[in-house]
Amino acid sequence: MKTYVVQRLVIALLTLLGMSMVIFTLLRLAPGDIVDILFSTAGYVSPSEKQAIMKELGIDRPYWVQYVDWLRQILTGDLGKSYRYDQPAWQIIRPLVPVTLELAALSTFFAVLIGVPTGVISAVRQDTTLDYVLRVFSLAGLSMPAFWLGMVIILGLVTWFSWIPPLTYVGPTEDFKLHAVQFLLPALAVGYRSSALIMRITRSSLLEVMREDYIRTAWAKGQTGRIVIWRHALKNALLPVVTVIGIEFAFLIGGLVVTETVFNLPGVARFLVQAILWRDYPIVQNLVMFIAIVVILSNLLVDMLYGVLDPRVRYGD
Amino acid sequence: MSRVRGALFSTIVIVLVAVALTAPATSQTPSTSPTPQASPTPQASQTPKPGGVLNMMLREDLSQGFSIHETSTISTVWPAMPCLNNLVLFDPLRKTESVDTIIGELAEKWSWQDNYRNLVFFLRKGVKWHDGQPFTSRDVKFTFDMLREAADAPAKLRINPRKDWYANVEAIETPDTYTAVLRLRKPQPSLLLMLASGYTPVYAAHVPPANYRTTCVGTGPFKVKEWRKGEYVELVKNPDYFVKGRPYLDGLKYFVIVERGTRQAAIQAGKLDVSFPGETTKTAAEQLKKAVPQLVVTPYSQNVAENIIMNVKKPPFDNPKIRLAVSHAIDRRALIQAVHQGGAVVGAALAPKPWGFWGLAEKDLVGLPGYGAKPADEKALARKLMAEAGISPEKPIKVEIVTRAIAVYVDMASFIINELKQIGIDATLKQIETAQWHAMATRGDYQIGANLTGIGPDDPDANYYENYACGSPRNYSQYCNEEAMKLFEAQSQELDPKKRLALNVAIQKKLEADAARPILDWKIDFFTVWPHVKNLIPHQSIYNFGRMQEVWSDK
Repeated sequence: MKTYVVQRLVIALLTLLGMSMVIFTLLRLAPGDIVDILFSTAGYVSPSEKQAIMKELGIDRPYWVQYVDWLRQILTGDLGKSYRYDQPAWQIIRPLVPVTLELAALSTFFAVLIGVPTGVISAVRQDTTLDYVLRVFSLAGLSMPAFWLGMVIILGLVTWFSWIPPLTYVGPTEDFKLHAVQFLLPALAVGYRSSALIMRITRSSLLEVMREDYIRTAWAKGQTGRIVIWRHALKNALLPVVTVIGIEFAFLIGGLVVTETVFNLPGVARFLVQAILWRDYPIVQNLVMFIAIVVILSNLLVDMLYGVLDPRVRYGD
Repeated sequence: MSRVRGALFSTIVIVLVAVALTAPATSQTPSTSPTPQASPTPQASQTPKPGGVLNMMLREDLSQGFSIHETSTISTVWPAMPCLNNLVLFDPLRKTESVDTIIGELAEKWSWQDNYRNLVFFLRKGVKWHDGQPFTSRDVKFTFDMLREAADAPAKLRINPRKDWYANVEAIETPDTYTAVLRLRKPQPSLLLMLASGYTPVYAAHVPPANYRTTCVGTGPFKVKEWRKGEYVELVKNPDYFVKGRPYLDGLKYFVIVERGTRQAAIQAGKLDVSFPGETTKTAAEQLKKAVPQLVVTPYSQNVAENIIMNVKKPPFDNPKIRLAVSHAIDRRALIQAVHQGGAVVGAALAPKPWGFWGLAEKDLVGLPGYGAKPADEKALARKLMAEAGISPEKPIKVEIVTRAIAVYVDMASFIINELKQIGIDATLKQIETAQWHAMATRGDYQIGANLTGIGPDDPDANYYENYACGSPRNYSQYCNEEAMKLFEAQSQELDPKKRLALNVAIQKKLEADAARPILDWKIDFFTVWPHVKNLIPHQSIYNFGRMQEVWSDK
């Protein structure tokens, strides 16, 4: 187990190194840089002034020097300075991280809360009216983009209640009720979409397991439906579901852009888009690396969970 | 736990109700739109009440912090203005900006001397910067030497977009602590109007200009309390403000809301008190007014013109006939209806009356290319000019029309493409990302483009020298005409207001007749506030009314 984890961590480091190269290169391939944007806000361009600012920011240096410098900064825990805000990147990134993590976790929670039970019911009541209703409900979730649902929620609230969630982040210690509402609405919008996928995977996986011999044996032994389904069938059907949950959570970390924008939540994804538009390399590079780390760790966690859910899965030492 | 369950249940109910009622929500869009009502002018009869915080919106975060001198965007000017002061300012309580509506800020009085060659400012005493340092004439000299990039300037701006405004300033003298003299090379009465713009605050000499990108040490009515990046900017009342009893408000909060729909929902829900200058279209204002009838909507000129830039150094637009044909071909009034649903007005190089002070009236526009009463006649004239250049709709020329990859630009460009097709110009659209737009336009790396031009103060000098003068980096068409330059100089130095106005009528007619940069329309903003917001009066330029000193809340 220990060796397996170490191996995975080494692979993760190599993946991160590869990621760093990709993001560094892609950013430089995009047309324009921060200095072009600065001049754009001033409405003119001066080549000599542009050169001076590039030198001031250090982006006139050869790419490989900039890349090595960035890696050195990461290793020393210094993420550099935002070009746009002229402040340490970490100072800017730090408050964004908990917002996105909380929103992603809450969305995943709702996705599981809705997706797994509906998937189970749908499988158990296969081809009944209830099954059809739940499948339509799930298909609707897949068809409705979260941002659209988010905007409908906002418009519905403002139209019927003349109220919308807070325009800025409210901390849990500041006002827990408001904080909860602020996160519940976007989490439900996002969670509903993700739940659709989980529901469908749960349903198909459970249907497969329910046809296994050992389930028939359990029924024959006179076990109650609850024990057969929840203890024997669902536990074995959960492996693909857990995989999907892990993938969804990882996806949400970087994929909440529009939801964060619609609900005006100051999270990683919304800020990342703004930073990309501004070509704020230190912010973009470090945020993408953060997302990559979360994706790698969540995948690792899912792999670890396999062993817990299915004792047949063993990690070679 | 029960609270969480309750919240969860109610949220699910809300979601389901919202989904179910989507159709009725969208169908509420009015088909017969009410005309936005003009706001009553200052509520002079009402006694202002002190206190309260005004909640406002920003479309994006501050682009260069509070450094107004290093940017040309309203996203910086709007939230930074309350922190700073000018020497002089357009009266916040008067709608129209002109030399007659200028009031003193840091300058108690001013005087033109030596036949408009010396502008003497007598400064207020006892004014303090937000860090407690006294304001003196040294700060004035520091600011304007920095702006005009004097050889001995003690500081330099990283980006200096309005250096040309001060090209005529020869020296700045400070005979004593509270007097500053701007010595000009030649008379320029309009300089005072540029000094009264929101673009022209005085910086502190003891603060490096780079610091304004992260914080704001000003003398203004409000101090910066917090700037949470990407989230909000909060300002609080300056208790030591030099105007006694001002500001009325305890604070201002500017929320960064990137999504347009959320911004509109926020103002509708009353979370915000004020819309963003230049933000509210006619359609949006009508929707807001229908949802919340008590909202106060004030139409005013954004001082932003939609125009066509044609590179006079590249074929086919190096041919004046083709340029003129393009100008004739665009039906301005149809564009205003189709693209802006009536939320814009026709005009030439300067904002037209009554929206602006200097622009051509409707009667003066008739006869200029593209302004004829019958669009079909204009098209026929355009086709005739094209035929003279050897081009017909049957044998069209292919060109590439560039525009910024932003919806308002693309909408306009699409309309232009359709119009050009009718006279034998087959244009394909190329969208340019913002990062590349100004560099591309300044280099002249294009044939024809659909462009928007915003002008700070409503004054001819601020416009001509920036957008039409030979060699100006913002003169994207690269139009350079000796006669026009002489006329620019003449109007700039003209001391008689009537003669100056007449000169400007002639200049605008010439610029349109030359198709220097055909103006298509002037955009109107439908500034929206809740009725409890008092004394926030939009001017004819979005850049000049953000000081907030006189604003109060009747909540």
